[in-house]
Amino acid sequence: MSRLARVSAEARAAGTAFLRRRTAVFFTFFFPVLIIAVFAGLIRTDAGGGLFARPTAYYLPGYLGVVVLFTPLSRLSSTVARHREGNRFEKLATTPLTSAEWLLAHVLVTAGLVTAACAVLTVVLLALADFTLSPYLLPFVVLGAVLFGGVGAVIGRIADSQDGAISMSNGLALPLLFLSETFVSPDLFPAWFRPFTVVSPLTHFARGVRSATYSGGDPLPALALLAALTVVWFALGAALLPTTD
Amino acid sequence: MDADAVAAHEIQKAYGDTTALDGVNLAVDAGEAFALVGPNGAGKTTLVRCLTGTVDPDGGDAALFGERPGDVDPQRLGLLPQSFSPAARLSARELVAHYAGLYDDARDPDAVLDEVGLAPEHREQSYESLSGGQQRRACVAATLVNDPDLLFLDEPTSSVDPAGRRALHDALESLVAAGTTLVLTTHDMAEAERLADRVGFLSGGRLVAVGTPASLVAEYAGGPSLLVETEAERDSLAGFDAERTTDGLRLRGVDRGDVADVVRALDEADVAFDALEWSEPGLEDAYLALTGEKR
Repeated sequence: MSRLARVSAEARAAGTAFLRRRTAVFFTFFFPVLIIAVFAGLIRTDAGGGLFARPTAYYLPGYLGVVVLFTPLSRLSSTVARHREGNRFEKLATTPLTSAEWLLAHVLVTAGLVTAACAVLTVVLLALADFTLSPYLLPFVVLGAVLFGGVGAVIGRIADSQDGAISMSNGLALPLLFLSETFVSPDLFPAWFRPFTVVSPLTHFARGVRSATYSGGDPLPALALLAALTVVWFALGAALLPTTD
Repeated sequence: MDADAVAAHEIQKAYGDTTALDGVNLAVDAGEAFALVGPNGAGKTTLVRCLTGTVDPDGGDAALFGERPGDVDPQRLGLLPQSFSPAARLSARELVAHYAGLYDDARDPDAVLDEVGLAPEHREQSYESLSGGQQRRACVAATLVNDPDLLFLDEPTSSVDPAGRRALHDALESLVAAGTTLVLTTHDMAEAERLADRVGFLSGGRLVAVGTPASLVAEYAGGPSLLVETEAERDSLAGFDAERTTDGLRLRGVDRGDVADVVRALDEADVAFDALEWSEPGLEDAYLALTGEKR
């Protein structure tokens, strides 16, 4: 009960502080819509081959992946960096709140935001594409948000400032987005590179979401792998949270 | 026998080639108010971090209530770090309520905000819109909300205006009177003199002197002095221990009854002056003597 109360108090403060940053709220929801507008609206599909030659539904993991990847990475990395700069971890280290509880509170807030943004995206895409509205979407989105929140916490620990954290997040997220079987199908990569795509957690998110919504395969193996990776990255993020800057 | 509230034994800490703490020994009794003073970079913040367990010392050990800092029930501790900057978009009340929510047994946020003198009309303002002094009061309130037995405050009144400082001092005195142990760092000698039962001078990572304010003044501050606001040089006043300062000539060891003799000597030497200021030695004089700095 006490642990739940602490996580709840931290999450409430984090959520309230976030919702009052209007620019951050606006771009959290505007960014994925922009991605849809660019990729699904402006870029014409090419039935003759090349990029974006598949039906729109094939790219659903890519659109959702944009939110699942970018939002937790940038939010958690900059939040950790901001806490370091304000000596907040030093204060929290002398309270009953543990590092894992702090990270849990912040990834839960982030997962809530990501889920809401993905729900908006899914509704918009339902009008544009033919895919199955699978109940597996929710666990994939939540696990993905928690996983990349853990990665963001690690980045926030490594970076030496908020600016550095955001730059590192974007520098990691952008290539990861295109090398994880989201917008670029694996047959477009050279054969020697394909094994490396499995290193990216986003690949398993993309495979699972695609199985559940488009290709008809079993999403459970990808979900299990994503869950295992989530545990690893969450634990790593919590363990690396500093007590002082 | 009860353990000391705070005990440090031969604490050492270095950052690269820079020695922050060089064998610090310290004991603070339960219910005592202890002030750490020293120049910037003397090691005050590092010592607080070693004592609270947020930094591991390279050598030596620290204990709070006889336990390793990391093993102490956090309900008993309060820490206000130096340059602490909480979530800017929360109001002062939300900030204090946030920290209250982290403890099993916390005080009413409004009662604590009353105690530190943050007026009700400022409590709903976002933290970033408060003045520097109001922000610091909100931060101190967030540190008091769990009613700690042992309170560490790292420069609690920096950038706080005199009225706010007085409110904070009153609150801290009440806490100490009620049995809370207080360890604070400060650059304000008047604050140390007012709040602390004992003061420790840190210089170059070493605790060079510890004692009551009165004993430190008696031992290190020298005698009373007279400041002669003049542009004359020090050798124009023969027979006096004079030192040139930016404000004029400071004559050491001049008792109040000797001021008339000084005025006579100034007249005889034909030295023009604007004003005279006689002062008893204080903690600041002891600080300056111990750190080798000049007034």
